[in-house]
Amino acid sequence: MGQFIQFAINGLMSGAIYALIAVGIVSVYKATKVVNFAHGYLIMFGAYFYFTFAVIIPGQEWAPTWLASWKPDWMVEMREGLGMFSPLGAVLDWAANVPRIILGLVGAVLCNAVLGRVVERTLMRPLMGQSVFAMIMVTVGLISILSGSASLIWTADAAFVPHIAPNTPIRFELFGSMIFLFGADIVNMIIALLIFGGIVAMVKFTKSGVAIRATAEDQSTAYSMGISVPKIFSRAWVLASATGAVAGAILATRNGISPSLGLFGFSVLAIVLMGGLDSYVGCFIAAMSVGVLEAMTQWKLGGEWAEIVPYVAVLVVIIFRPHGLMGQKEVERI
Amino acid sequence: MINGNLKADYGADERVLNNRNKQLFVYGSMLLLALFPLFADDYAVLMACKMGILLIAVVGINVLTGYTGLVSLGHGAFVAIGAYSTVIFSNLFSGLPAGILPIIVVPLAILVSALVGIIVGLPSLRVKGLYLAVATLAASFIVKFLIEQDLFAPWTGGIVGIDTPVPNLLGWELDTKREMYVLITALAVGTMLAAQNLFRTRVGRAFIAIRDRDYSAEILGISLLRYKLMSFAISAGYCGLSGALGAYFFARILPEQFGLDLSLELVAALIVGGMGRTLGPLFGVVVVLLVPEMIKITMSGATGGSLEWARYTAPLQEIVFGLLLVFFLLKEPLGINQITDRILRSANRWPFARG
Repeated sequence: MGQFIQFAINGLMSGAIYALIAVGIVSVYKATKVVNFAHGYLIMFGAYFYFTFAVIIPGQEWAPTWLASWKPDWMVEMREGLGMFSPLGAVLDWAANVPRIILGLVGAVLCNAVLGRVVERTLMRPLMGQSVFAMIMVTVGLISILSGSASLIWTADAAFVPHIAPNTPIRFELFGSMIFLFGADIVNMIIALLIFGGIVAMVKFTKSGVAIRATAEDQSTAYSMGISVPKIFSRAWVLASATGAVAGAILATRNGISPSLGLFGFSVLAIVLMGGLDSYVGCFIAAMSVGVLEAMTQWKLGGEWAEIVPYVAVLVVIIFRPHGLMGQKEVERI
Repeated sequence: MINGNLKADYGADERVLNNRNKQLFVYGSMLLLALFPLFADDYAVLMACKMGILLIAVVGINVLTGYTGLVSLGHGAFVAIGAYSTVIFSNLFSGLPAGILPIIVVPLAILVSALVGIIVGLPSLRVKGLYLAVATLAASFIVKFLIEQDLFAPWTGGIVGIDTPVPNLLGWELDTKREMYVLITALAVGTMLAAQNLFRTRVGRAFIAIRDRDYSAEILGISLLRYKLMSFAISAGYCGLSGALGAYFFARILPEQFGLDLSLELVAALIVGGMGRTLGPLFGVVVVLLVPEMIKITMSGATGGSLEWARYTAPLQEIVFGLLLVFFLLKEPLGINQITDRILRSANRWPFARG
């Protein structure tokens, strides 16, 4: 039982990150009817940008020393005399990294937003009004372009990336069994859920959210109602790549940076289809359940098998519910 | 004014090569292909073999995506199944005389691929377009994962790959690339003619009807279940043949060879060449394989083969590959075949107006 709860909680935490990535795919789909196969590679760019701003730039000679390691006197005093694994020590270690974490996150989000806008303007905008197949295939081509560019730009070996939050181990008792968690994982989950909730609320309540929904419903009607559809398109792409940057930064701290981060996008794509392409709620449920299923598979069958859980899950769901758990059925007229 | 199209009887109208220009082109290129190994160097023969192997798979995916309108991003898996079945059956039936082994093993590999194709195609009855693309992608990840498992390692060799047998056709051992070229080219030409022929039959016409509008096709009495699965089986079978040839061609096969890259390469070749056209796969394969190769040659020529620059070659090839795909989608969605059509048409009408 204890292990079950432990793995379930681990699963929920990775599920939250899946949800954060899924929100980018769903937002782009809702606004533009394009499924972004290259979203995983946008995330990989986010991770590399975070690495650039949080590790490479503070490591340069011209960078101020407080950027790489911020150690005011009061912090040094507090640090003295603390044990190896004390929680306060972990927090202080993290505090020394705060400047570069902030720089990293801001830089990653900004750069990725620019990247998303460039992609939208150069590749997607010319295809507006063309067949969806062509648009999707353009994102498939984008996979190669992005992954090639990444290995061209970042040739250095990826080093340690600072955690976004203090990584103190947390132990507590739940239903009579010990649960063991890391602080950074919890904060990551909270960030992911906040961003997810924020985007859902934005789409639901704000004016631009209504515009996105109207565009999703019917592009030409939205156009004639005075909504600038191209603007909605680029906003959706910017939103997706900016959230992707945060997701990339989180993934970089969890699993390290490597070109295989891009492949992560495909499992999230499977999750999105499982939940239903145009439903935030469905995607959230799917992301959480796949997260938990993966953790259970890891527990019972070993880590390798967890890799294909999303794919098996999506195949099973698609056979029984072709439009995903909560997706809207497409009405086809002949 | 289109010349050379006088049809005196129905038989002439129904032929695959129904005019003089086509006959000239096909017989001429067959002759060229036959003479090619006599004057080409080893490197050219190697490239030609690779193209032939890829071509068969692209012809397969053309049947599914180009003619039946079902998008698949996971056809690399069928190539993998063809390749691995060839090796596994060869090891299983190693008691048989070597001369007849490929004649048994290759059809079996094609059959296994086709069967897996039917299984993977099952979701196509309920989902279309994008959902199907992701379903096939998911299936291909699963297939690759299973091949890599230690559980099946005694048969598949696991993640480190497995050595492949040398093909032996009735005592003729094809142990050089030049001999393999003969086999691959013969089969590639054969499959292209077979694919072209398929679309003169009832089955092929049903595929095209499904592509154009599946509900309308169903109302016309075409069983979607039957023909969609048949399309999947045929296209997977082609890919299986391609995999079998690949297994014979390469000394060793690894799971990584059949990953996402291969699936994307197949689709890219199809789009670049022209979907739903017989010669599309041919043009596509030539471009998709030659352009990265040319980059490699130019890079090593320009930098004098220095190792420092060599590591930029692979990413550059990848970028150019993606740019090719994007360029054709943006500028020429019907592919190279459309360009050649335009040139041929204006040549045909010269000196009158093009159009």
